[in-house]
Amino acid sequence: MASTLRLYLTCIRNTLEAAMCLQNFPCQEVERHNKPEVELKTSPELLLNPVLICRNEAEKCLIETSINSLRISLKVKQADELENILTKKFLRFLSMRAEAFQVLRRKPVQGYDISFLITNYHCEEMQKHKLIDFIVQFMEDIDKEISELKMSANTRGRLVATEFLKQFI
Amino acid sequence: MAGAEGFVEADNAEAIMIRIEHKTRKIESLLKQYKPVEALRTALEGTHAMTRDERCKSAHWIVVHRALMAIKDVDGMLSSLDSEYYDILMKYLYKGLSTGDRPTCEQCLRIHEKLTERAGFGCILRYLADTLNTV
Repeated sequence: MASTLRLYLTCIRNTLEAAMCLQNFPCQEVERHNKPEVELKTSPELLLNPVLICRNEAEKCLIETSINSLRISLKVKQADELENILTKKFLRFLSMRAEAFQVLRRKPVQGYDISFLITNYHCEEMQKHKLIDFIVQFMEDIDKEISELKMSANTRGRLVATEFLKQFI
Repeated sequence: MAGAEGFVEADNAEAIMIRIEHKTRKIESLLKQYKPVEALRTALEGTHAMTRDERCKSAHWIVVHRALMAIKDVDGMLSSLDSEYYDILMKYLYKGLSTGDRPTCEQCLRIHEKLTERAGFGCILRYLADTLNTV
């Protein structure tokens, strides 16, 4: 189980290393505009093949690259209803503060839980391998966070129930 | 121009389907003789004749998938496979990873790690950049 996680993250890291080759490219259609081509998808010659890496039926990662931008969308494992709700709330909390993260996208791509948008400007200001480390670390930490949240929710529920039901003994 | 291409595709498609059936039989016999590496090499060979026909692509994929799942020793397989097959193998690995089926994904992830160590990031980038010949 742990080894598949390691292989999955290695695969994503290798693919990102190869895919993060971004350069500045002003918009071809509109003068003096500079837009992330992966979001608009207007010119097919500027886009590379999208890559879908699935670890199993529940977890997957979509990496779409273009000449000046790269979009990474993640679907996190959600085993039951409680994890479903916790994941949605937690990732919504992060997405609303996307400004602070800089590379986070405000809305996840349809069908996924969270998305990152990395542009050539990010690659110029920040180091490429550090960006990749951040994404991979994020994926590891998300799983830990969600399990911690679930455990604390269950513990709180148990304590409250015990206290409440004591009065009926 | 497109019409002529359509004709060529139709004839080629039938020929390719027949070739794939021959290959499937050959691969089954090789797998029975416990020669998974030869089976994989046979599976990857004919795919150089790239085609746009969806049926041929899925038939190719089924054949390669069968050979891939039979591989147990990944290091040995990669050392005996010629480097000209690395690019096409990478394409099929990513196709396998996009299926989402657990055993396929595990096997593909295992091979992907070792193949990247051998072939480097150029192999991945060639797959990303090749929008014409997709599998």
